[in-house]
Amino acid sequence: MKHSKRRRLDFLFQGVITITSMIGLFLLIAIFAYVFKQGSGLLSWDLLTSDYYATTYDTYYSDQLGDEVFEKPSHLDESVYFSSKWGIGFSTALDNEGKSYMLIAYIDSNSPLRILPDKNNEGEVVEITENQALLKVIFTNYTIIMSSEGPENAANLFDAADGIIDMITTTSGKGIRGSIITTLYLIILTLIIALPIGVLSAIYLREFAPKKSKIVEILRRLIEMLTGVPSIIFGLLGAAVFIPFTSTFTAADGGNLISGALTLAVIVLPVIITSTDEALKVIPDDFRQASLALGATKTQTTFKVVLKSAIPGILSAVLLSVGRIIGESAALIYAIGTAIKDQIILTERSTSLAVHIWSIMAGETPNFELASAISIIILAVVLVLNLIVKFIANKLSYESRTS
Amino acid sequence: MKTENVFQITNLNLHYGTKQALFDIAMEIPKNQVTALIGPSGCGKSTLLRSLNRMNDLIDNCHVDGLVQYENDDIYDKNYDVINLRTRVGMVFQKPNPFPMSIFDNIAYGPRCQGVKDKKTLNEIVKNALVNSALYDEVKDRLKEAATSLSGGQQQRLCIARAIAMSPEVILMDEPTSALDPIATAKIEELIQELKKDYTIVIVTHNMQQAARISDNTAFFLMGELIEYDKTDLIFSQPSKKQTEDYITGRFG
Repeated sequence: MKHSKRRRLDFLFQGVITITSMIGLFLLIAIFAYVFKQGSGLLSWDLLTSDYYATTYDTYYSDQLGDEVFEKPSHLDESVYFSSKWGIGFSTALDNEGKSYMLIAYIDSNSPLRILPDKNNEGEVVEITENQALLKVIFTNYTIIMSSEGPENAANLFDAADGIIDMITTTSGKGIRGSIITTLYLIILTLIIALPIGVLSAIYLREFAPKKSKIVEILRRLIEMLTGVPSIIFGLLGAAVFIPFTSTFTAADGGNLISGALTLAVIVLPVIITSTDEALKVIPDDFRQASLALGATKTQTTFKVVLKSAIPGILSAVLLSVGRIIGESAALIYAIGTAIKDQIILTERSTSLAVHIWSIMAGETPNFELASAISIIILAVVLVLNLIVKFIANKLSYESRTS
Repeated sequence: MKTENVFQITNLNLHYGTKQALFDIAMEIPKNQVTALIGPSGCGKSTLLRSLNRMNDLIDNCHVDGLVQYENDDIYDKNYDVINLRTRVGMVFQKPNPFPMSIFDNIAYGPRCQGVKDKKTLNEIVKNALVNSALYDEVKDRLKEAATSLSGGQQQRLCIARAIAMSPEVILMDEPTSALDPIATAKIEELIQELKKDYTIVIVTHNMQQAARISDNTAFFLMGELIEYDKTDLIFSQPSKKQTEDYITGRFG
């Protein structure tokens, strides 16, 4: 009787443990599935390479229209509506935020609309290209195209008209090129600042500091603790110390990329120190002794033998840091600001990918689709970095440990 | 026959913290001979060996009193150049410990640290060291391969080659064959006999047969004290102390 009760209890506990672990797994999968479902539709090369702010062109056509008749090219399908009079085709497309607009899907190389005078800048010209959006046209016969009226209507109205009083087109915009570049800048700048300091600190703690010193042990504990400090506190440090600092020594005024990189450097420094320290710890003392016994100095021993063996560990420190830099948002909101930029200048504000997400979600109409698309990019970059570092570390340890 | 001494040790006392490891050691180490240090585990023979190239400096709380003279210079003098001492007094450890680099880089490591950069010179140094350590024929075609790909015995000979590449005067060996099989051990012993012509060798061993086979002088240690130090034949045929006799006849240790 008692026996069966124990068995039932055991069974119950096993069940609870299994279900609990399943909940975690399910949540992870659900999050990834949501992000991919929401974002994958918006992922495109255009999203990665185009500016956030669209450029709008305001033009007109006042010349005498020739009587050339253009052929609709055979590679265009039925969704493209073609004006044979003007040699231009329209279709409906979704922009980088998922809204539909009228796209110039095709323009003939001899089309009269190819090069048009710029209405806002006397003497300048505007090149109308494929992938621009058509916002509005007013023809000389006073018919008007609005982008919401659809491509078929637009093609018909073009065919009926002989001249254009006003035509407004725009580049696609809402791209994240600027934020990608900012993120790359931040990764490089932060590592340039934090990697040498972190690696040298770890070398001091492990190789040069007195072995059984209490102070060194306390220092090491403190540095380990720093890895767990919420990054928003470092963000305050960035705002309070690094922004005034960079504003004093550079042309910067307010948050800028350099203050952001300095803040990130403070955040990743404990990560680099701790990982490098762990890597140095497992290197056998035999190497150090053999090197010293050969008359090498302490510095030679450290840099030629010890550090060389610790490279896989240091690489994993770099990976962890890059992951931290890409994912950091709270600290950067203070240290750089949240203004999305297309032209990236070191001494000005701009957003990393993570802060870009924050920016587009913070407005009155949060854009889940775009945020998810950027999330996919962040996940992909982290994954690729992970694989690269694993590969290099494997290769290095393979070279040093086996034949 | 008058022999020249490379090391002259007088009243050497060594403490690890509060524990004394060596008591009033006094001995000379003659040039171009093999001197064996024997004794049971923990008797201080390795400690003595390591005090000859000041490797004990690396151990915290290690405190040395007394005089160790290398070619008439006090090596524990404050102004003595330890780096220079270690280039002239090489060391081979108990466990083969090649660096995680290629065979070539392992041997070139010491000279490179001394600032030798010329490729031709380095090639020559590496070749000579390998030839002198009887390893050249085995590895000449794979100098670029990882040193760790060699067998244990080869690795140990590589470590000897690495020490030879510095062209030292003395080679200290700390139980160099204890991690090796009998065949590899025989090769190392053969090599030691060869090296004796050019180098002074001090070897720590817990293998008494080995000491009897390869050494010219033998020092017997017990609990940090030098019990007896004499020609090897004398120690093994007619020891003057009871403890020595007990040890070499296998009554303890």
